Amino acid sequence: MAVCIAVIAKENYPLYIRSVATQNELKFHYTVHTSLDVVEEKISSVGKALGDQRELYLGLLYPTEDYKVYGYVTNSKVKFVIVVDSSNTSLRDNEIRSMFRKLHNSFTDVMCNPFYNPGDPIQSKAFNGVVSGMMVQTG
Amino acid sequence: MSIPDYMQCAEDHQTVLVVVQPVGIVPEDQFFRIYKRIASVRQLSIRDSQRLLFIRYRHHYLPENNEWGDFQTHRKVVGLIAVTTCSSSRDWPHTADRFHAQKEVYSSTLYDSRLLVFGLQGEIAEQSRPDMVFYPSFEECSDVERRVEDFVESIFIVLESKRLDRATDKSGDKIPLLCVPFEKKDFVGLDTDSRHYKKRSQGRMRKHVGDLCLQAGMLQDALVHYHMAVELLRAVNDFLWLGGALEGLCSASVIFHYPGGTAGKAAGCKPSVCQPADAGKRHRPGGSQNVVDFCSGYAINDVSKRRSQTFSPFMSKDEICEEIKELTQERQQLSEEEKIQRYSILSELYELIGFHRKSAFFKRVAAMQCVAPTISEPGWRACYKLLLETLPGYSLSLDPKDFSKGTHRGWAAVQMRLLHELVYASRRMGNPALSVRHLSFLLQTMLDFLSDQEKKEVTQSLENYTSKCPGGMEIITLPDGLTLPPVPFTKLPIVRSVKLLNLPVSLQPHKLKGVLEGNLSNASPFIYSPILMQSRGEERCKKIDFQWVQGDVCEVQLMVYNPMPYELRVENMGLLTSGVEFESLPAALFLPAESGLYPVTLVGVPRTAGNITVNGYHTSVFGVSSDCLLEDLVGVKASGCLVEVIPSLPRLQLSTSLPRSTHSSQATSKEELPSSVSVQLFNGELQQLTITLENIGSIDIETLELTSKNNNKGKNNKSCSVCVCCCSFFSFILSKRPLSTESVHQSDSKTLEAVLKFKYSGGAGKVEGYYRELSLGVHVNVEPSLFFTRVSTLPATSTRQCHLLLDIFNPTEHELTVSAKNNQDLVLHASECQRMAIQVDRFDFESLPQAGQQTPHLSSPKQLEEERQLAHGCQISSKLGICWSIISFRHGEASVEGVLNQLVLEHLQLAPLQWDVLLNGKPCDCDVVAECIVGDAVTLEVKLTNLSKNTVGPLALMVVPFQDYQNGVQNYDMDEAVTFIGSNIFCISTVKARDSSVCEGALMFLYTGDFYLNIRFQDDSARRGLPLAWFTLPSVHIRALDISTIKFF
Repeated sequence: MAVCIAVIAKENYPLYIRSVATQNELKFHYTVHTSLDVVEEKISSVGKALGDQRELYLGLLYPTEDYKVYGYVTNSKVKFVIVVDSSNTSLRDNEIRSMFRKLHNSFTDVMCNPFYNPGDPIQSKAFNGVVSGMMVQTG
Repeated sequence: MSIPDYMQCAEDHQTVLVVVQPVGIVPEDQFFRIYKRIASVRQLSIRDSQRLLFIRYRHHYLPENNEWGDFQTHRKVVGLIAVTTCSSSRDWPHTADRFHAQKEVYSSTLYDSRLLVFGLQGEIAEQSRPDMVFYPSFEECSDVERRVEDFVESIFIVLESKRLDRATDKSGDKIPLLCVPFEKKDFVGLDTDSRHYKKRSQGRMRKHVGDLCLQAGMLQDALVHYHMAVELLRAVNDFLWLGGALEGLCSASVIFHYPGGTAGKAAGCKPSVCQPADAGKRHRPGGSQNVVDFCSGYAINDVSKRRSQTFSPFMSKDEICEEIKELTQERQQLSEEEKIQRYSILSELYELIGFHRKSAFFKRVAAMQCVAPTISEPGWRACYKLLLETLPGYSLSLDPKDFSKGTHRGWAAVQMRLLHELVYASRRMGNPALSVRHLSFLLQTMLDFLSDQEKKEVTQSLENYTSKCPGGMEIITLPDGLTLPPVPFTKLPIVRSVKLLNLPVSLQPHKLKGVLEGNLSNASPFIYSPILMQSRGEERCKKIDFQWVQGDVCEVQLMVYNPMPYELRVENMGLLTSGVEFESLPAALFLPAESGLYPVTLVGVPRTAGNITVNGYHTSVFGVSSDCLLEDLVGVKASGCLVEVIPSLPRLQLSTSLPRSTHSSQATSKEELPSSVSVQLFNGELQQLTITLENIGSIDIETLELTSKNNNKGKNNKSCSVCVCCCSFFSFILSKRPLSTESVHQSDSKTLEAVLKFKYSGGAGKVEGYYRELSLGVHVNVEPSLFFTRVSTLPATSTRQCHLLLDIFNPTEHELTVSAKNNQDLVLHASECQRMAIQVDRFDFESLPQAGQQTPHLSSPKQLEEERQLAHGCQISSKLGICWSIISFRHGEASVEGVLNQLVLEHLQLAPLQWDVLLNGKPCDCDVVAECIVGDAVTLEVKLTNLSKNTVGPLALMVVPFQDYQNGVQNYDMDEAVTFIGSNIFCISTVKARDSSVCEGALMFLYTGDFYLNIRFQDDSARRGLPLAWFTLPSVHIRALDISTIKFF
C-alpha cells in the first residue's frame, strides 16, 4: 500500500527510509526531501496558533502525478512521511492516520531501546517489520 | 505556437505595446542606441487630462503572440517603429517596400507606424510624409524623442477612439465574438442567435473594453467594465475569459493600490491588503478552472506566474502551492529551452515562498534539462551554474569545515547525488581542478554514507582526475565569485592520536641543576602555592616537558587507521609546524584495508631554536594533497603540541670492543639503558673492555665527564673482581688517553652490573646550560670457577712459615689447572676435589694499615673485626697468588678471602713473641743443620723480641738435648755425649714491649753425631694467659763433627 516510508530527524536528515522499488530509490529520496518544505510550513503555521495542542497528523502534503505524500510530526519534531500511489484510491484518510499511529508506536519502541543512540539511523528489526507490513499490506 | 513571457507583471496590463524593429541592414549598436532613445519615452501624459499612457517597447515580438491581442489588449502590437538605413535614393523604393512588408505582419492590430530613415538625403527626404522621418545620419537625430511622443500621441488618439467606440456601442444586436486563437475553429457553425452566445459576446466585449480603459489610463472605468464582464462571463461559464476578466480586475486593483508599482512592495501596504487579496481569491476559481482547458496553457503560464508574484504577500503558501502546481501540470510539448526556463521560473517561485527544497529540486531538474541527451549542444556550464544554486536547498555548503563538527547535516543520499552531478558537470565543463575539488569533498564529507563499492568507484575516478590535474590546498575561485575552500582529507586516514616523542635517551638534553633552580625561583617567590601550581599545570598540558634539540631528528607519533575497504596509499606525509624553522621529512605509508590503529612516526629536523608547535600534518592521498590541522580534527587525542627546541648539542657515538646486548636487566630498567655490554665471566676472570667514543655530530665536544655507578646485587664475603678498563679515542678535540680503571668487587652472586655515564656538552647548547648523557651498562654474568671447600694449616718446619692446606673443588665442566705462587700446578677434572698445600711465610698483620681507622663509620667492634679479617684475607690472597686456568682459553685468579676462619688466621699470623736461636752466632731454624766440632764449646744464644704490647717474662728456658734415631725412638739420655758449660737453664728477665732480650749459654759435644736441642720452658706460670703459639721455639738440629772429618771435607 505505501510505496515509501521515511522517518526524518528533527534536524531534517533521514533516520530511516525505505521504498518498494529499490532501483528508483533516489526518486523517493527527492520526493520525501522536498515534502519537508510543506511539513515545515505546516508546523510553523499550526504551531503558532495552537501551541502544544496540535494535531500530529498533517494530512496530505501534496499530490504529484503518481504519488500522494502524507506527513506526520511527533511532538519531538521527528517527521514521518508516507508516500502512497495516486492510483490507490481505496486508501482513506483514516487508514493513513492509523498507519502513522502504528509507525509512531513502533518508533517509540525504537527510542525506548537503551542501546539505540538517538540521532543514529534506525536499524531495528522490529521497526523494519512494521514498515514492511505497511508496505506489503494491500487495501 | 506562442511563447510565454515570464517577465510580465501586473503593470503591463496598462501598457500599449510598440514594436521597434530594424529594417534592412542596420548596425546593431546603432539600432540599440536608437532603441534606447525611443524606449526612454515610457509614459506620456495626455493633454487636457490627468491620464497617463504607458508604453512598452519590444524589439522582437512574435506574430503568434499578437494573435492573443483580442484576449488581452496589452498583448496586441499597436505601434511599429521601423529603423532603417538608406544611403542612396536608388535604394529607397526597396527600403520602403520592406517597411510595408513589416507593417503587414502586424497589420491586423496596428494603430499607427513610423519609419526612421537614416542616411538618406535629397529630394525624397525633402518631401514630408507623415509616417516617415528622415535623418542624415545616426548622429544628427536630436528630435527622435519628440517624434516618438508624437507617434504615441497618435496611438492614443486611435486607442481612445476605439475605446469610446466600443464603450458606447450599445446596439446589442450584433456584437462580434472575440476569440483566442485556438477557439476560432470551435465556433464554426455555432448558433449565433442564442442568448448564451449573445451573453458571451457581451461579456467578452466588456472585458475588452475594460482592457482598453485600463490602457487608456481610466482605471475606474476599467474596474467597472471588468466587474460587469465577470458577472456576464460567470453566467455563461466562459472560464477562460472569466479568468481573463478577473486577471484584468486584479491588475487594475493592484495598479490602483500600488501606484509605485508591485516590484517594491513593502509592509506598509498592509492596510490596503483586503481588496487585492479579495480580488486574488475571486480571481482564483477562474484561474484554476481554466486549467481544465489545457490548451490555454500559454495564458495560464504567465497568469499563474504573475499572480503568484503579485499576491505572495497576501495569500497563504498553500494557495500559492496550488497555483504553482498549475504550472507544473501543464503538459505541452515545449522545446528544451522553454523547459529549462519554465523549471527555473518554478524554482524561483518556490524560493519566493520559502520552499527552498522544492526550489532546489526544480533548479536541479532545470540543470539536468540543460544537458538532456536530446540537446545537441549540452550547456554544461549553465548546468553547473544551476547546480551550484541548488546547494543551499539541500543544506549543502562546499566548505568541509561545516561538516567536520557534530552530526552530518542534511539528506546524505540526495547530497551525494548532487555532488556526483557537480563532479560530472565540472568535468564536462573542462575544469578538472573543479571536479577534483568536488570529488574530494564528496569523499571527505560523505565517507560514512558511501558503500564499499561506491568508495572504490569514487576513489578510482578521483585518481583518474588527479593524474591529469593534481588537487591541492589552494582556494578555487569561480568566475562568478564563488570560492571553493580546500578540502583536506582528514578521514583518509583517520588520525586518532598525536603524540610528540621524546628524543632517544642517549640524545635527551639535560639542564644543569644550578640553572634550572634559578628559573624556578624566577617563576614565583613562593615555595608552594596551589593556585600557581594549577596555572602551571594548565600550561604544562599544552607544553610538553621535554625538549627537542636543534638539528636533531625529532619524531611525532600518530595513531591512524584506514576506513577504506582496500589498501590506502598515503604519500608525502609530513608535519606542519610553526614557531621555528622545521624541515619535515615526509614519509609514505601503506595502510591495509580497514586497519586497526596503526602507528605512524613522522620525523623532521628543527633548524632553529625556540618553541615549536605542531599544528597538523599534510598528506597526499589519491593525488590530492591536503593539509590537515589538528584543531579541525574530531576525536583526536593530542597530549600537547608545543615543545621547546633548545640550541644544538654535539652527538657522541659509543662503540665497545665487546658485543652489545639488547638485554636490559630488571635491576636497571628504571634507567633504561640504551645499550649495555654483557659479558659472561668465570669467577676471578679478567676481561678488558675498550670503549670508543666518536663525535658524530658537527659540533665540537667541549666537556666530557665520566661517572660510574655500580649496582651490586647481594652482599657476600666471597668476592672476585672485575676490571673495567676504559680508553677513549676522540676524533676531534681530545687525544687518546685512558680515562679510568675501575675495579668492581663482586661476590659469587650471578650478576654484576655497572653503569658508565658520559656527560658531554658543547656548542650553543652548552651556553644555555644543557648537556647530554650517554650511558653504557656493563652487565657481567659470573659463573663459579673454583671453590675452596676446606682450609686448614699445618706448621712448617720454620716458625716463620706454615703450610696452608686448601681443599679445592672444581665446579665447572672443564678441566681446571690451579697454580699458586712457587708451587706446582694442580690439575682438577670437572667436579673434582683435591687438596693443595702451599707453604707460606707467616704474616705480620700488625704492619698492615689499620682499615678500621680509615672507615670511622664502622664503629661496632664486630664490624671492625670483619673489616680487619677482610684486609687480612686480601693480603693473604695476594701473597698466595692462586691462579686457575681452564685449558687454553680462560684464566683468572682465585681468592681465599672469606674462607679463612679465625683459627687458620691465627696460625698464619706471625707470633708477637719472636724467638731466635743462634748457634755460634748463626741463626739456626727449620731444617738448617748447624755444624760444630766435637770438643769445641758451642755458644747458644736465645733471643726474644717482644712485638706485643705487653711486657713478657721473666721466663726460664731449659735446653734439653736428645738424639732422634729416626725410628720413633728419641734418646734423651745425653749426659755423656753433651755437656753444658754452665747451666742448662736460661733465664730471661722481663722483656718490655718492643724490646728484646738475649740470654747466652754454651755447650760442648763430646761425640760426633746428630743432636737436637729441645728448648723448653721451665714452668708455665709466666706465660699463663698468652697463646701457646707465641711460645713455639724452633728446634735446633746440630751435627757434631770430628775435626778430621771436617778436614776431610
